Amino acid sequence: MSGHGANYRYVSRKRRTKEDRRFIAGKGRFAADIAVPGMKHVALVASPHPRANILSIDATRALESPGVHAVLTGDELAAETAPLFNGLDIPEVKWFPLAVGMSRYAGEWVAAVVADSRYLAEDAAELVEVDYEPLPAAVEIESLLEPDSPLVHPGHGSNVLVRKTFEWGPVEADFAKSERTLTYRARWGRSSTVPIETFGVVSRWDPIREILDVWASIQMPNYQEQIANSLGIPTNSIRVHNDVDVGGSYGVKRGIKHTVITAYLARKLGMPVRLIEDRLDNMSGGDAHGPDRLFDVTLAFDGDGTIRSMKLRAIDDVGAYPGRGPLQLGKPITALVGPYRLSSVAYEAISVTSNKTGQVPVRGFGQSPTNFMIETGIDLVARRLGIDRIELRRRNLIRSDEFPWRIPTGTEYDSGDYHAVLAKALALADYDALVARRDAARAAGRLAGIGIAACLEPGGGNNIFEQLLNEKLEITTFVESCLMRVDMHGHVTAVMSTTTSGQGHETLIATIAGEELERDPDTIRVTHADSLEALPTRSPVASRMAIVLGGATSEAARKIRAKMVRIAAHNLGVGEDRVEYQAGTFFVRGEPARKLEWNEIASIAHRQFHRLPPGAEPCLQEFSVLQVPGASGQLPNEKKEIQLYPCFSFQAHIPYVEIDPGTGKVEVLDYAIGHDCGTVINPDIVRGMIVGGLAHGVGAALYEKFAYDGDGQFLSGSFVDYLLPSSHEIPIVRDVEHCTPSPRTSLGQKGSGEGGYLGAPAAVASAVNDALAPLGISLSELPMRLCDIEAAIHEKRTERNG
Amino acid sequence: MKAAEFDYIRADSVAAACAALAAAGPGEERKIIAGGQTLVPLMAMRLARPALLVDIDGIPGLDGIEARDSYVAIGAMTRQRAAELSPAVRDAVPLLARALRFVGHVQTRNRGTVGGSLVHGDPSAEIPLAAVALDAELEAEATGGKRTYAAASFFEGPMVTAIAPDECLVEARFPVWNGGRIGAGFQEVASRRGDFAIVAAAAQVALDGGGTCTRIAAALGGVAPGPVRIAALEDALAGTRLEDGAIDAALASVGGAIEPDDDLHATAAYRGRVAEVLLGRAIREARDEARA
Repeated sequence: MSGHGANYRYVSRKRRTKEDRRFIAGKGRFAADIAVPGMKHVALVASPHPRANILSIDATRALESPGVHAVLTGDELAAETAPLFNGLDIPEVKWFPLAVGMSRYAGEWVAAVVADSRYLAEDAAELVEVDYEPLPAAVEIESLLEPDSPLVHPGHGSNVLVRKTFEWGPVEADFAKSERTLTYRARWGRSSTVPIETFGVVSRWDPIREILDVWASIQMPNYQEQIANSLGIPTNSIRVHNDVDVGGSYGVKRGIKHTVITAYLARKLGMPVRLIEDRLDNMSGGDAHGPDRLFDVTLAFDGDGTIRSMKLRAIDDVGAYPGRGPLQLGKPITALVGPYRLSSVAYEAISVTSNKTGQVPVRGFGQSPTNFMIETGIDLVARRLGIDRIELRRRNLIRSDEFPWRIPTGTEYDSGDYHAVLAKALALADYDALVARRDAARAAGRLAGIGIAACLEPGGGNNIFEQLLNEKLEITTFVESCLMRVDMHGHVTAVMSTTTSGQGHETLIATIAGEELERDPDTIRVTHADSLEALPTRSPVASRMAIVLGGATSEAARKIRAKMVRIAAHNLGVGEDRVEYQAGTFFVRGEPARKLEWNEIASIAHRQFHRLPPGAEPCLQEFSVLQVPGASGQLPNEKKEIQLYPCFSFQAHIPYVEIDPGTGKVEVLDYAIGHDCGTVINPDIVRGMIVGGLAHGVGAALYEKFAYDGDGQFLSGSFVDYLLPSSHEIPIVRDVEHCTPSPRTSLGQKGSGEGGYLGAPAAVASAVNDALAPLGISLSELPMRLCDIEAAIHEKRTERNG
Repeated sequence: MKAAEFDYIRADSVAAACAALAAAGPGEERKIIAGGQTLVPLMAMRLARPALLVDIDGIPGLDGIEARDSYVAIGAMTRQRAAELSPAVRDAVPLLARALRFVGHVQTRNRGTVGGSLVHGDPSAEIPLAAVALDAELEAEATGGKRTYAAASFFEGPMVTAIAPDECLVEARFPVWNGGRIGAGFQEVASRRGDFAIVAAAAQVALDGGGTCTRIAAALGGVAPGPVRIAALEDALAGTRLEDGAIDAALASVGGAIEPDDDLHATAAYRGRVAEVLLGRAIREARDEARA
């Protein structure tokens, strides 16, 4: 199937987004815009040492500084709060918002100063005297596995936090059957995602009502539960204001440390307390760093390019405090073999701790490094066999008539037509002309390359992958909810239960509700309930909101519509099956004059109990709490097989790059992308996600790295050294859509928030390697920085001349 | 990222600025703020913490570009963007005009000043590089009088220049080359457009009617504590017709003239190799422009 799955009234139509109006008018309301009377400000004291014992902290001078109210240390906070949540089963790895006894990375917060302004707080923070005893640090990823490595958490006894091995399908038999094998290494550098807004939070404790109000720039599941666990107060004493606009997140807006610090201080001091990270706080000590991964891979394949199996070891350096970061080794199990027809896979997942800033979830939750690892291997097999890279992919891609397709790990891909999307992308790129352009550039002495990457985007979420890494996490739901009301004037209000961080959820809900109810989405109000009033939510992560929140919206709207049909039928004196609804009018089928308008039914529902069907509940309000569609809701079986994510979007990326052989500088000159995320809800939002995600991926491929020296000193603590691509570095992106609706969702929609980022690193790396291929160079470490590329070129030329 | 406490004086004349600088207590760090594009972030990060900030933005007559007989005078407060777009600079100091396009972004050039960049003395900055390549003169004023610095000896080290704490730079004078056909070339590599250069190369040449090089200036940035002239290369190429072979041979002298360092973005070895590559390109660019 191609094109749109159905002829929608609002869905898939190019319509204005609901949120943009306030942002364009400068009327967003972000955490830093929250002004609570009497609010005090926090500045942080950070350790300059990668690893050091904290011998003493003297706050005397800081407390004498003007406007200072308190200096909080790790010892005090640890005595009064419970450790923060770790995803892994590592009871001896205790994580507190401020260092306790030992600083475990350069930039770790050791004290928090509260003052009348951030200026005064920073002045006082400089006066806090900390006596450190510096110690050797655990830094280099492979050395972390060695028994003589310095221990980040001595109580844990090892730097290995978890090591799990899995074997899905007949791995050894497939290897034995295969004619060839190829072993390679791929290295994903410590990069992340950088929202324009850093994390910010304001906490206020009301001792009379016993309510902790929290306004935060948050995107995290179970936020209030984690606050409650740490502070030891009931979850129903915490009110998280979900109507705060979040200035971008892409996974990293976790902020639990910041929140516990401000909430504790607000209760202790009896004053509202705010902590707005500056960029220095954010990049070294905040929730900023993403996966840092070393893959060792062996592929088994035949001479014709048929790839049968993969043995994979992934080491992930999660930094000093694991949080949810290590679980990013688990999610990719849902698409561990990518869009390819491998019949078995062996996976060893190793999570190691180091004296670096702790890892947090980043867009795709580990899938982008995984896709890069897979696509690197596909290109290497093509090069080894002398088969065209596109042809090799065509031979191995799952075919459209094979869906639903079950991969060895137990997940069934819902739908797709990978060959069609690839063909559309190639047509959009004008591939033959692109090859001619590349070859002409090469003939003129330049280095030029075309990248090819196929990219799977799992969408919908499902916590159960966590259980594969930590048996104690038996969480088999990952719900999202929508509450919908039609008031007595007929106006529709939909309530979501979480914050939104730029994904356009208000547009999503209004569009789907409008479609289901045949009401203009512009007239539908969408609000964010605070956490005390909200229905259950797991927050807008995992490319899941179109799928799960969209599904809940459809469900709630369908219930509303069904109830209105019932009221209409009762008042028109016919059976429900004879009532039709169209664009605001309920009428008897075949007798359009016998009708009731939308507003009349709303009025009846709210005011005229005597006209309601017997037993009907008055008024018009319905809700839906939706489990992940397609999930079994069970634990993995004894073979560790389980359906993880429900929906699988697909993209084909085709960038064109040229490299200056004298400087190693890469220019991405062209970029074509074909994408299929099922039914598109709003085309502008999907395109925005693709282009933004792609730019994010170009950064990971060429520029972005949180770098450390051999002693563990952090080197990339500002935008001078952590290089984000700007608009100059991103070419005009051309995209073409394809649509294979998901059979698992309410309108056929799938996820679209991650795909650009999940494909671009692999695609740009592929293009760089294509450009370097004539020199016999192949690189597999990201980011591919200009000096590394130039050094490889120089080395090759020296070899040849020597 | 909040600046430490400082005093602030907005001067309405150079004399007033100099008086304010001179009046500061001994050992008190004084800074002039012009466009603030570098200083303000440094203060926000508390990497710079002057006790006194003297703002020269409101001083009349401190900006402006004037072509005089043998040089183009650029007032210290002249915005980089104004110099970039100035016909006088374009026609008479083509190397500076080219260099200015690489300074930051249009947005920062709209605020950043020519004088501020010179006094800051970043070893990879483009304006100091052009000043050294062209033997610019820098005039500074203090309460006691005026002093003129040669660009060649002004840049003493990374972010260290010869200007005294009580002095205010008032004017930079870029010599105008007369006679023959003039061409300029400027090349740099940075990780991203607008970043500080990893390596920058500047060249200006004059050719006579027969195509022989009568004068050449060649300099590199980002490969030493300050911009460096490559004198041996200039000597080797003066009097040649700047054939590719001659240029390539002369580039061998680059290595002896530079002292590159490693940093996060590039190794010393990279800088050394790329310095040759870019200077060769800059000279060819200058030559081709002069020939055209």
